[in-house]
Amino acid sequence: MNGSEGGTRLHPLERHMDAAAYVVSVKVNRAGSHAAAVLGDGAAWLIDLTDSSAAPAVVHAHDGACLALARDIDGNGFLTGGDDGKLRRIAPGQAAETLAEVKGRWIEHVDCCPRSRLRAYSAGRQVHLLDLSGHGSAPALDHPSTVGSLAFAPNGKRLAVAHYGGASLWWTGRPGPPSRLDWKGSHLGVLWHPDGTHLMTTLQESGLHGWRLRDKADMQMSGYATKVRSMGWTNRSRYLATGGAESVVCWPFFGGGPWQKQPLQLAGTAGGLITVVAPHPKEPVIAAGHDDGRLLIAPTDGTAPVAIAAPDGSPISALAWSDDGRHLLAGTEAGRLSWFPIPAGR
Amino acid sequence: MSAIPVTVLTGYLGAGKTTLLNRILSEPHGKRFAVIVNEFGEIGIDNDLVVGADQEVFEMNNGCICCTVRGDLIRIIGGLLKRKDAFDGILIETTGLADPAPVAQTFFVDPDVSKRTRMDGIVTVADARHLAQRLDDSHEAQEQIAFADVILLNKIDLVDEAGIVVLEHRIRSMNPFARIRRTERCSVALDEVIGLGAFDLDRVLAMEPGFLGEDDHEHDQSVTSVSLQEDRALDPAAFDQWFRTLIQVQGVDLLRYKGILSFKGSDRRTVVQGVHMLADSGNLSVWPAGLPRTSRFVLIGRNLDGGALRAGFAACVAP
Repeated sequence: MNGSEGGTRLHPLERHMDAAAYVVSVKVNRAGSHAAAVLGDGAAWLIDLTDSSAAPAVVHAHDGACLALARDIDGNGFLTGGDDGKLRRIAPGQAAETLAEVKGRWIEHVDCCPRSRLRAYSAGRQVHLLDLSGHGSAPALDHPSTVGSLAFAPNGKRLAVAHYGGASLWWTGRPGPPSRLDWKGSHLGVLWHPDGTHLMTTLQESGLHGWRLRDKADMQMSGYATKVRSMGWTNRSRYLATGGAESVVCWPFFGGGPWQKQPLQLAGTAGGLITVVAPHPKEPVIAAGHDDGRLLIAPTDGTAPVAIAAPDGSPISALAWSDDGRHLLAGTEAGRLSWFPIPAGR
Repeated sequence: MSAIPVTVLTGYLGAGKTTLLNRILSEPHGKRFAVIVNEFGEIGIDNDLVVGADQEVFEMNNGCICCTVRGDLIRIIGGLLKRKDAFDGILIETTGLADPAPVAQTFFVDPDVSKRTRMDGIVTVADARHLAQRLDDSHEAQEQIAFADVILLNKIDLVDEAGIVVLEHRIRSMNPFARIRRTERCSVALDEVIGLGAFDLDRVLAMEPGFLGEDDHEHDQSVTSVSLQEDRALDPAAFDQWFRTLIQVQGVDLLRYKGILSFKGSDRRTVVQGVHMLADSGNLSVWPAGLPRTSRFVLIGRNLDGGALRAGFAACVAP
């Protein structure tokens, strides 16, 4: 692949690895030094982004399947949740450690917040908070149904938890009942606006819901072909990019939007489906993973997307950029794990 | 990737579901099952693929009033499917008080689940000593019989032959599709409960429901079945209109239905089957030469008006 066409140039060090198991999630640590991919066979692969000749370190994270991955509070580590009921911390060059265990349950959702120095994980209907030392810092938070997802607000003061019938907003610094954002249906994913002004959820019934928190004004985004399983903010939070349709559907959050605005539709292929989206953190481009394994980089100005991975039949299941936008990691259900270094100064 | 078969085990409290589950898991079949249970600790077999379920029944926000699904199953199956080649089938044990409909509907409604799995069959374990009483006083016990593809009439060693015959007759009047197997301690060959393909359209062709006369419904029970039959070819548009209206209006009451239909102008057998408002249909093989092209449509449900259904079906005959 050379990047003579389009604006995004790929480095010749691009690597494809066969992880031989479902890539559940991939993330780059806060320091930008390592990527972690967690797999359906319980392994976590740690990739050194500073040394393209190093083989990935394979860590046994869970007995069973890994279900969740988050960047830990510090720059190096990651937290993983598994169907063995364990919350574990893995970090390059360190032994994996178990931070919590819930017998007979799955740990399905994990998030961490450097601002509040808290970690949160869910098991069934309960969310547990842990501080940096690994101590439970509060009684478990109860919800009306199994937790669909959870996320700390960017400032760390609140924790949003999606569940059946809406979302709950907890204060992380003080006890007390949550405030509820109600909307009918099963809410499966949750994402904060980077300014903390809006909360978005994905729904079982193919669509999104959102609330502007200042006045709890509702947003409904529908018309998707299937369940939306991935969403992310483009640079400077101009668009909310989403999967679940033939093209990347991008809802404008400027000029009074998204109300009464038409979304952008990018990187579509007829008859295909976008499974995962990952907007670049600094540039107006979006990495779009398709259900046939194709991976496109689509500029939000509507110019032609660039294909960086060819279809191989297995859906893209995980995508992540490093914070500096210099590395893109991608995984598929069949276990293809790809690393695309992006050179500086384009 | 082939779809993973899913077997649902239902039955009233104490009927012997866990006995059947342990039997399936301990047979030397060389298959690996993921098991979704409602209570941990009852399974005597060492199996790391046992998952506890929360029985979370959700209404789908899709305008279909009877369309409830099990949210926990969507979540659990999504998680299980991330494991690589880990199992050959999924067994779901429901609680004794569960209505099987949300479980079955989950496999038709959720796009991820329906793409990767297929409903293989619903197996109901019934305690022969207590079934009559349960059918009199329990809505759920009626649903479990109505939804079943196979019914294990269990603990027959504790009931005399005459009693069993009465029970079988009563079951047959509620559910003419199901195979009834008499068992002690759920002793049954594995292929009687696994690998049924009971929701495959081509298996509907093998339907041999026990046809019953009106006077066979001697019990005053709310779940009944109605068997419709027609030797003249049907008009496809008229049938479509009648059937769509029926499932819209009476979908809540219709528990299961199966039909093999002969339409005017077609040499192929049209097969339809469904659960509540979720119907599936297809045009299958050509009618065998020399045999009558008899349409048959069997419905299981509550508050079924046999006379109105017969009249509606007869009105679909092509002019």
